[in-house]
Amino acid sequence: MEVCRSSAVSLREFGCEQSLLSRPDGSASFVQGDTSVLAGVYGPAEVKVSKEIYDRATVEVLIQPKVGLPSVRERSQEQCVRETCEASLLLSLHPRSSLTLVLQVLHDDGSLLSCSLNSACMALMDAGLPMSCLFCGVTCAIDYDGKIITDPSAAQEKGSRALMTFAIDSTERRVLMSSTKGSFSVHELQQCIAVSQKASEKIFQFYRDSISRRYSKNL
Amino acid sequence: MLSSLKDRVGAVLLPGDGFSLDTDDTISLTEQAKPDKVLCGPGLRRSGARLVACKSGVLRHKLPNVFWVDSQQRRYVPAKGETVIGIVMLKSGDVFKVDFGGSEQASLSYLAFEGSTKRNRPNVQVGDLVFAQFTIANKDMEPELVCIDSSGRANGMGVFGPGGLLFRVSLGLVRRLLAPHSDIRSDLDQLFPCELVVGMNGRVWVKSSSIQQTLILANLLQSCDTMTAPQRQELFKRVKQGAL
Amino acid sequence: MAAGFKTAEPLEYHRSFLKENCRPDGRVLSEFRTTTLNIGSISTADGSALVKVGSTTVICGIKAELANPAVETPGKGYIVPNVDLPPLCSSRFRPGPPGEQAQAASQFIADVIESSEVIDTEDLCIERGKLCWVLYCDIICLDYDGNILDACVIALLAALKNTKLPEVTVNTETSTPEVNVEKRSLLHIHKHPVAASFCVFDDSILIVDPTDEEEKLSTAQLTVVTDEEGQLCSVHKPGGTSLSGEKLQECISRATARQREIQKLIDKVIKSIKTAK
Repeated sequence: MEVCRSSAVSLREFGCEQSLLSRPDGSASFVQGDTSVLAGVYGPAEVKVSKEIYDRATVEVLIQPKVGLPSVRERSQEQCVRETCEASLLLSLHPRSSLTLVLQVLHDDGSLLSCSLNSACMALMDAGLPMSCLFCGVTCAIDYDGKIITDPSAAQEKGSRALMTFAIDSTERRVLMSSTKGSFSVHELQQCIAVSQKASEKIFQFYRDSISRRYSKNL
Repeated sequence: MLSSLKDRVGAVLLPGDGFSLDTDDTISLTEQAKPDKVLCGPGLRRSGARLVACKSGVLRHKLPNVFWVDSQQRRYVPAKGETVIGIVMLKSGDVFKVDFGGSEQASLSYLAFEGSTKRNRPNVQVGDLVFAQFTIANKDMEPELVCIDSSGRANGMGVFGPGGLLFRVSLGLVRRLLAPHSDIRSDLDQLFPCELVVGMNGRVWVKSSSIQQTLILANLLQSCDTMTAPQRQELFKRVKQGAL
Repeated sequence: MAAGFKTAEPLEYHRSFLKENCRPDGRVLSEFRTTTLNIGSISTADGSALVKVGSTTVICGIKAELANPAVETPGKGYIVPNVDLPPLCSSRFRPGPPGEQAQAASQFIADVIESSEVIDTEDLCIERGKLCWVLYCDIICLDYDGNILDACVIALLAALKNTKLPEVTVNTETSTPEVNVEKRSLLHIHKHPVAASFCVFDDSILIVDPTDEEEKLSTAQLTVVTDEEGQLCSVHKPGGTSLSGEKLQECISRATARQREIQKLIDKVIKSIKTAK
């Protein structure tokens, strides 16, 4: 388990562990503060005939909440994670196969969607699936004084006026996914995107460090 | 661009890391101007004017200009010419369906065994293990296996005999085992005599003189993945002392 | 010939139009389809509206029911939106439990209601901790030809503007609610959120108000919701290819213009209903 202490753009302490499950083809758990998500990837595997796509792989994302059954909220998050993964994976290299990504929420203390995105990216990388770029998730909250808080905890989320989650890609630092709550001005949106892009640098550096450490074992 | 690639050999690449395909800025006048051809192996792709990594792993280089990304992966994706250990799942008419751990089952014709003819069918049952080679493996077609080489000889391939143990290891470990002058293999040789069959799909079959030794070997191999060379040698030494 | 080309190479077919800055149905890239609105189409509902954006047809009915407020929010009523994509509207949808798209759309509408504060849920409270209104907003798609989210938001807003709630008094002696059906009053609408959807073609070309076919071929989709003060209520982009800051700015300014157009349209229709009476 690697841990990164962050200071400048204040992200909570985050950590990640890869290949921790034996059955899935790729797995990772990502921890941001007290929020923690476990991800497992199966694929490329056999696909049901009804879901087969002739020129690319079929991606399925399942989000399991900590308690209870997945609800409408999880469905909409699944859609966000799935389409982000589809954009970064090179799906045409595995036609007529299926990729299943299962995200198990272990604990939710705010910024859940961004933590899910990060664990999904690490798990996809662990599975060795061909990707055109990496992605990471950053959540920003705007409080009632107009201050921007990155990677808010559940309490900070509650006391905020607006909440935005972005997925940023690693090559051009552009916005792959955006999901917002609350109302905000255009200027605030642009500020939040800029802050997220800055924060993404840190997360990508962390990705690189943890992968390097992993490969340093068998050099 | 060659120089920029060579600089990174041995370094860890992440998906999206790219190299521009432009020729080097300086052109030497004395050497003959021959365009460098770069051969890209798994994990590297050309995208427009750039060479982009699509898997995470270590960049490797082989003379003259072969580059690839060495990655740790569990799921096997078939490639032509690779040998794998498969399990016969189904007999349907002239072909067997073989599971090799990929996204679909491969077909294996009953004629693709040494000495088999229309009259003389090979004795293959559902559930048997086969060591076979891919003749067709691409993303758009059903993969096809054969148990003979181009001259019609078995050359080590075919149905496995009774006994032995099949288990899975990571694809990275398989490649290290199969590499010429593999240090893991030479370490293993010093332990007990054994039969070892390694498939590129991550399946390994071992058979030793006793069940106990077979199990020890299987456990050792599975644990090799997460150990550095000194750790491994230390463990092997301890096993040797304990077992003797 | 053209039909064969379209079937065999749908993407190339669209590209050849986009190269000329127009689309197969004759629109330019930043043009919405004609939007028609009918308010109060269902007489049995408390509020309703029918919206057509091109051939996409969506109907929204609002049913108000009395209920006990939730324990954690005693001074508030609640709004329960639901988007239904029945098999009737497109061959893509199968009968059975709602699919991912329908559930994601329902969640999106719920988020828009909450983010924009179109209705102050405290207005729905009748007696604190005892009695409140629940507004069931059922949005049903009758004909699916892309851009369902825009149509849903317009239908919802128009139906809410049309909703008249009867006066309710609580009898102090028996503590039972008494509904005065004769006396009805309009809901107070605080904000007018309107959505504008965009599609990204080939990672760079931005088109507005996509049809079903364009949605299928596009590489990314984006929905921007704005209110009359120019505040953003939602910037919803469920993945797909990345978008630069300038493009995003372009979308936002188009969305604010769209907000004005739609608000004008709703006001016009409401006025015409009043004069007809």
